Amino acid sequence: MADIEGQTPNPPSKSRLLVWTGIAFMAAAAITVCFVMPAEYHIDPLGVGKLTGLDRLAGTKEVAVKTPAAGAAVTPARLYDTPWRTDTFIIELPGDGREGGELEYKVRMKPGATLIYSWSETGAPPEEFYTDFHGQTLPAKPGGEVQVATYRQATGDKASGSLIAPIDGIHGWYLQNQAVKAATVTLKLAGFYALVPAGEEGNQAGIKPKP
Amino acid sequence: MGAGVLGLLIARAASAHGIGGKDAAFVAATKGADILPFVYLGAKHMVTGYDHLLFLLGVIFFLYRLKHVALYVTMFSLGHSITLLTGVLTNIHVNPYAVDAVIGLSVAWKAFDNLGGFKSVFGLTLDNRLVVLAFGLVHGFGLATKLQELKLSPNGLIANMVGFNVGVEIGQLLALSAAILLITTWRRLPSFGRTAAAANVVILFAGFLLMDYQLAGLISGKH
Repeated sequence: MADIEGQTPNPPSKSRLLVWTGIAFMAAAAITVCFVMPAEYHIDPLGVGKLTGLDRLAGTKEVAVKTPAAGAAVTPARLYDTPWRTDTFIIELPGDGREGGELEYKVRMKPGATLIYSWSETGAPPEEFYTDFHGQTLPAKPGGEVQVATYRQATGDKASGSLIAPIDGIHGWYLQNQAVKAATVTLKLAGFYALVPAGEEGNQAGIKPKP
Repeated sequence: MGAGVLGLLIARAASAHGIGGKDAAFVAATKGADILPFVYLGAKHMVTGYDHLLFLLGVIFFLYRLKHVALYVTMFSLGHSITLLTGVLTNIHVNPYAVDAVIGLSVAWKAFDNLGGFKSVFGLTLDNRLVVLAFGLVHGFGLATKLQELKLSPNGLIANMVGFNVGVEIGQLLALSAAILLITTWRRLPSFGRTAAAANVVILFAGFLLMDYQLAGLISGKH
């Protein structure tokens, strides 16, 4: 049998091995560039992803939008055509990693529109309740590029504040209950926004305001 | 969107062969020592981790004596235990894509070595015990990054970590038993000499593919 442990009993010749290694290396690189990069990361240098439709697997391409730092000059007084409204929402989030323990709720706002919000949560400990307050544009076509503005990502059981929308689109919260127990969120909004109909982007969960 | 922001916590942990879904939720909800579930998660991670399995397969491919198998596997376990435990406990953060790319490279490396490549192409004779130890250290960092993605409670951290590591060893033994059975049966076939070389070319390719897959993630700039 083998004279040297740890190697194939009949190793290929040097030139043959180099050819095989080269083929293996190139094949792996080609598969990665043609298929893996478009399907996983939205990088499509050869256009194969677009041609095969694989690029749709990578989901929506997000482009971060810089939001002005707090204290940046803003117009203190504004006039709006959109009607003023106020709503209260009660949102239930089951615990223990169950279905519905995380969801997104957003409202539509024009750039420059103002929203005052206050939310609090009971049921989950503050360190096990995660929120991502952000806004995004809607893609021009399904799977198209969207701009995303991140406002606040934190754990905690309450937050109050205001938002002047930096971009035209939907703005709101990704809520995640990481606790074992169920959490109940009370969200109060006031300002110049419109509700997203149930089932549409921003309100896939079908959250309705309290009548 | 949805998927994008969700990706921050959930999808990210599930991708690139991590710990995801309800397992991630369980780990995030765990407070205090809960050793047996962590033993299970460690074993599951190893048994379902094709990157670790391919490397182990490459390592034992041409080891004909059980005591040599035991020696190399001990070197590998020693390596990954050191980095898994110190990585999490000292909170060293390494880019998971970079670590997983090196793990892919380790698979290709071992297959190339099995084909006699380092000797015939570079004229090198490597001390494989040290090579396996070094890659063991890298695989441990890979395991550590997967655990770090889940927010582990400091409460009972050490007990849970050791439990996870014990699980990794158990999973490794299970996978190894199956691999040894396969290889010893294969060796009795007259075609072993030819097919063994071909199989290592396939492992070489798989290693390169795993490496490129992770490198693509690295250049995409997603954390």
